[in-house]
Amino acid sequence: MMKGIEQEISRDRRAFIKKVLGGTIAGSLLLVIPAGAMELDRIPEQIPGMRKEKGPFITGRKFAFIVDITRCIGCGSCCVADKNEYKVPDGNYRTWVERYVIDDHDNVYVDSPNGGLDGYQEPRRDLPHPVRDTFFVPKLCNMCEHPSCVQVCPVGATFQTEDGFVLIDYKRCVGCGYCVQACPYSVRFINPETKTADKCTWCYHRVRKGLLPACVNVCPVQARKFGDLNDHESEVYKILHQPHVISVLKPDMGNKPSLHYVGLRREVV
Amino acid sequence: MSPEHGAAVATALTNYVFPNDLHVHWSLMIVLYPYITGIVAGAFIVSSLYHVFHIKSLKPVSRYALVFALAFLAFATAPLLNHLGHPERAMNMMLTPSPTSAMAGFGYIYSAYAVVLILEILFIYRPTLVALKKKARGGMKLLYGILTMGSDNLSPEALRVDHKITAFLAAIGIPMACTLHGYVGFIFGGVKANPMWATPLMPVIFLLSASVSGIAGIILSYVVIRRYTNKPIDMDCVRTLIKFLWGCFILDFVFEMLELFSHAYMATHHWEALRDLYLGPLYWSFIVAQVGIFSVIPFIALGILSLVKLSDRFVMKWGSVLSAMILIQVLLMRWNVVIGGQLMSKSERGHAVFHPGFFTKEGIVVSIIIMTLPVVFLWLLSKVFPFWLDDDPAVERQSA
Amino acid sequence: MVPEYKSKSYTHIVWILLVLVVVVIAGVYVRAKVLPKSFGEFGHYRGDAIFDEMNRPIRNGTNSSCLVCHPYIREMHLNGVHHTVSCEFCHGPVADHVKDGKVIAKLPKKQGKEIKRLCLRCHNQIIRARPKESIKMISMPQHLEEKHVRTDHICNQCHNVHAPLMWVKEARAMVGVEEDSK
Repeated sequence: MMKGIEQEISRDRRAFIKKVLGGTIAGSLLLVIPAGAMELDRIPEQIPGMRKEKGPFITGRKFAFIVDITRCIGCGSCCVADKNEYKVPDGNYRTWVERYVIDDHDNVYVDSPNGGLDGYQEPRRDLPHPVRDTFFVPKLCNMCEHPSCVQVCPVGATFQTEDGFVLIDYKRCVGCGYCVQACPYSVRFINPETKTADKCTWCYHRVRKGLLPACVNVCPVQARKFGDLNDHESEVYKILHQPHVISVLKPDMGNKPSLHYVGLRREVV
Repeated sequence: MSPEHGAAVATALTNYVFPNDLHVHWSLMIVLYPYITGIVAGAFIVSSLYHVFHIKSLKPVSRYALVFALAFLAFATAPLLNHLGHPERAMNMMLTPSPTSAMAGFGYIYSAYAVVLILEILFIYRPTLVALKKKARGGMKLLYGILTMGSDNLSPEALRVDHKITAFLAAIGIPMACTLHGYVGFIFGGVKANPMWATPLMPVIFLLSASVSGIAGIILSYVVIRRYTNKPIDMDCVRTLIKFLWGCFILDFVFEMLELFSHAYMATHHWEALRDLYLGPLYWSFIVAQVGIFSVIPFIALGILSLVKLSDRFVMKWGSVLSAMILIQVLLMRWNVVIGGQLMSKSERGHAVFHPGFFTKEGIVVSIIIMTLPVVFLWLLSKVFPFWLDDDPAVERQSA
Repeated sequence: MVPEYKSKSYTHIVWILLVLVVVVIAGVYVRAKVLPKSFGEFGHYRGDAIFDEMNRPIRNGTNSSCLVCHPYIREMHLNGVHHTVSCEFCHGPVADHVKDGKVIAKLPKKQGKEIKRLCLRCHNQIIRARPKESIKMISMPQHLEEKHVRTDHICNQCHNVHAPLMWVKEARAMVGVEEDSK
């Protein structure tokens, strides 16, 4: 009997629930769905072994984020997922997607209406010369090795963990905005609801529970990649060890970002 | 050159501001904060010119300058607290100051400076306060009791010790005043992400403009208060102040222009964006107002007042007008640095727009209130600390 | 005559030093009292802030968290060319749908023009900024004209949104038309 029910569940959980609710399976004690995918933090792990890490720091891994701008199609899935994950207030962006247009006079035109959240439905029609090339560039926290925001935070409310994540203590942040000024990449903002600084965390809470960052998870063309550089089988390791055009944003700032771009163009700031 | 030159052409098509840069986070409050601390530092330097460097002609304003500095110091943190997202956590700055932050030292530098300034005032005013305590009644007697720190001893020995302490406080006060304001300049100058701010000249410019605003504030308020209360104005003092104002302003203006010039001359990859900023959104507030009207005119006119023999009436009248212009110049400079620096997006491809609100939390009305508070407080302080030697009971008694 | 003073010549200096010492001691005491315990545990920050961030609720799941309860969609979605498209991109985060193992609300289904807008986020040829190999691009309304359908057609009238080529392939199989274009 039990086995039968389990089979029934795994075949079609939804129909099963309907049956239960409809009373077709009589006397069922299984109204509570067996622990599994519906508990958000028990969704099958995308980064194996992460849930075993209970300490304050992740051990033995060095995470890197790679954005492949030769793949990005500017759909804005990442922006939508990000806004949903954090309920980011309108007009503030933890991540955004920029559109670059270069004309045959070498002029560069960039735009990012609503941070790319609504996608790019229209081409730019306001340009005087024929377009030579266009591409999209997603932006997010650079997770610097030498983060300016941590350096300038007067109260120690922004900090770098030993595993390289730059996080914010929302309970100690005074909301002075110095980190917003100091970030060379403008990924920070003062959250109008919490009145504290806020920024992309590479979905630290998801990563710690074995899930990929929300934006990586939803990207339909794998333009965003997240992985462990200590794992020589990981995609990020392989990309960084192959002959690609790989760079970081504003390298002259000296911040040493852990966010790498494949196919980064010189026009991108 | 038209105001929109370059800027309009460049921004109409390429104007790209990082989405998070569209909002200007450091508002009018952060314009007022260095303005107020600058006035504090400048006024203290005026007092030190007499107390440490023995410029005798500044004796009439030497004590007033300290009280003036205190009145502004008391409200230096008001705009900051109003600006913070969580003012109730402001003490975190004192509890856990980050050793790497250019901002974290402010709490301690500000507090230490406040202690030095208050002690300096109490020691200099002690004979006066003791005399006033004898005359006072009720609450005022209690207040003077606290301010005299439980001592009515005016023996030559006590006064000799007082004098030593005063000289020491004034001496350490100068580097502290310079530190306080040079440091405020470094809060901006240390932001490498902002090419307009990130220059080693920034602390120097802030310090010089602080001296300028402090001296100008003393000249203007001295002349206005003395005239309003029908008391004679010491023209030797005013003329000396004007000379110092001119001297400091020469340095200040030259360094401000030098900064702009070196940006333009070196023409790094930042320059295009900076030029568009100066010629675009900052054209009226920087080029026309700060430089054209409120720097060039006082620069020349102060030179004339300092070098040409002119009547007392003329010097008094125009000295006050030019001081007022200098005060506006420094305010404009704070605006152009603080707001201007944020208008240029870190994309270096465009600029944001900023219009201060009128009745908003950090708007114009609140700014006016915050700038009025030190003046009101100065008036209250005048009831406790006689500004001038000619209404000081201790001085009267000595001369009598 | 030298006036008599009640206090000594250094009384006020003693008082000042006393006040300063008291202020410093009070400051040190208050700091020790109000400082969070985990502050400075790992660095100049509150160590527990790491756990605060770690325990932030997850709102987006993964496709598997959706498909486990929707096997019919699962079949279509995973076998179609849209298998890399996120469920939650179109439908919203699973946290708005399921909480503590119970369905708390229905997620909205996009309708009509909204569907077309969603499709064109990725497939609009005219944007031009897209790598040619990665996905199929179409121009509107030329695509509808080519296919000889009305230009007010919505994409999902021909394409199953979960498996865009499913119906197209089925129709071709039924009428026996060879694939003429890719």
